[in-house]
Amino acid sequence: MLARRAFLPIAALLFAAAPGLIRPAHAQSATATAVSFIRNTGQQLVGVVNGPGSATAKSAALTRIVDRDVDVNGIAKFCLGRFWRIATPAQRAQYEHLFHRVLVLNVTSKIGDYTGVTITVGRAVPRAEGVVVATTVSRPGQAPAEVDWLVKQTAGAPKIVDVIAEGTSLRLTQRSDYASFISRHNDSVPALISAMQAQTARAG
Amino acid sequence: MRVACSPRLIFACLFVGLLAGCATAPPPSHPEARAEFYRTNDPLEPANRVMYKVNNALDAAVLRPAAVAYKDAVPEPVRTGVHNALGNLDTPIVLGNDMLEGKPYRAGTTFMRFLINTTLGGLGFVDVAKRMGYPAHGSDFGETLAVWGVPEGPFLFLPLFGPTDPRDALGRGVDMASDPFGWVGAGTAVTALNWSRFGLTAVDERSRVLGEISGIKRTALDPYATFRSLYRQHRHAQITRIEADNRHTVPAWFPAPTTAH
Repeated sequence: MLARRAFLPIAALLFAAAPGLIRPAHAQSATATAVSFIRNTGQQLVGVVNGPGSATAKSAALTRIVDRDVDVNGIAKFCLGRFWRIATPAQRAQYEHLFHRVLVLNVTSKIGDYTGVTITVGRAVPRAEGVVVATTVSRPGQAPAEVDWLVKQTAGAPKIVDVIAEGTSLRLTQRSDYASFISRHNDSVPALISAMQAQTARAG
Repeated sequence: MRVACSPRLIFACLFVGLLAGCATAPPPSHPEARAEFYRTNDPLEPANRVMYKVNNALDAAVLRPAAVAYKDAVPEPVRTGVHNALGNLDTPIVLGNDMLEGKPYRAGTTFMRFLINTTLGGLGFVDVAKRMGYPAHGSDFGETLAVWGVPEGPFLFLPLFGPTDPRDALGRGVDMASDPFGWVGAGTAVTALNWSRFGLTAVDERSRVLGEISGIKRTALDPYATFRSLYRQHRHAQITRIEADNRHTVPAWFPAPTTAH
């Protein structure tokens, strides 16, 4: 016990002193990881979107990329905001499942609109919530779009936790949509769940 | 400007929507809901939602069909040309705001764009300046006020203008009033030209976001709240971009231009 008590302040001191030494190296490696991760994922996304194959095959390939590289449950929790805590475990599970379906539907429904897409990876900046990797997405006949990717290490692997298109964060927008919907339905999470069910049913 | 129902806002409520009135903040017993209410900063929400419905009805009846017809009838290169020419007419306002924001590099770009595109670009139809290294950027008096430190204030939804806030609505008014093309000449022909420009701008802008708007309406559970969030985020991003743009206008004889970016 004594040894442990003595150790704790020393460890605390070390950690207090260490950030100045450790952080730059750590941040640099995290930044480099995030950049190569986004370069990979971006190339794969572009490859699927521009490539041959039926819409169904493309949807399946995009779903695989989403499942592997996007922190879907983390984003789902973020988007439910303060209502996550009042949701029952069953409601959370149901919501996560629906959120995944809605996200995949939103990603895959846009395939038809994009052809000849190119993605250029730019600078990466470490932030409190993760590393922001800047990219430029170009399509023929369209003004290039600035798309930033927020990458966070979850369970040892880099994952996308947010996409910021032309300054608008997808998860923030989604959260305000859900928050407003729930508060206008007497703070009822089941109301959101049934609306999401209707949404996925409509999309088939 | 974050108070739920200040006298100023009550006046605005009476003005904007007698029928709907102000929203009331959740009681202090619900601190999280209360915090969210103030963060959302939309005390006129009931009135705004009425305006949102009015705007949607107008859009469905007039603007959207016009934009769809325009897109179907007019080939893409012509539409791009029209868009460029309309943008060129806005350059004096953009230039004025660039200068008021204290951004000489941006002002220089806008000035060169106006010179080049009005002449070589055939009254702005062809964006020659972009190829010569002077890409377009927007700037309005709402952004200028933001750069000067004026807060945005509560959210507003106005018919025809859509999502805005008191600062940006005022900025729009100032931009319209100070547009030099609004002062040139008088008479029916000029009035007709100004109205055509106004109408064409509306149709052009709407035709460029047909897919986006219907996509948001299809996927959002509360489109009003989604547009509110998107508008604010987009404005913040634009303002941050202007504030961060500190490129200098380095004279040609100056030895080492350090900020080439």
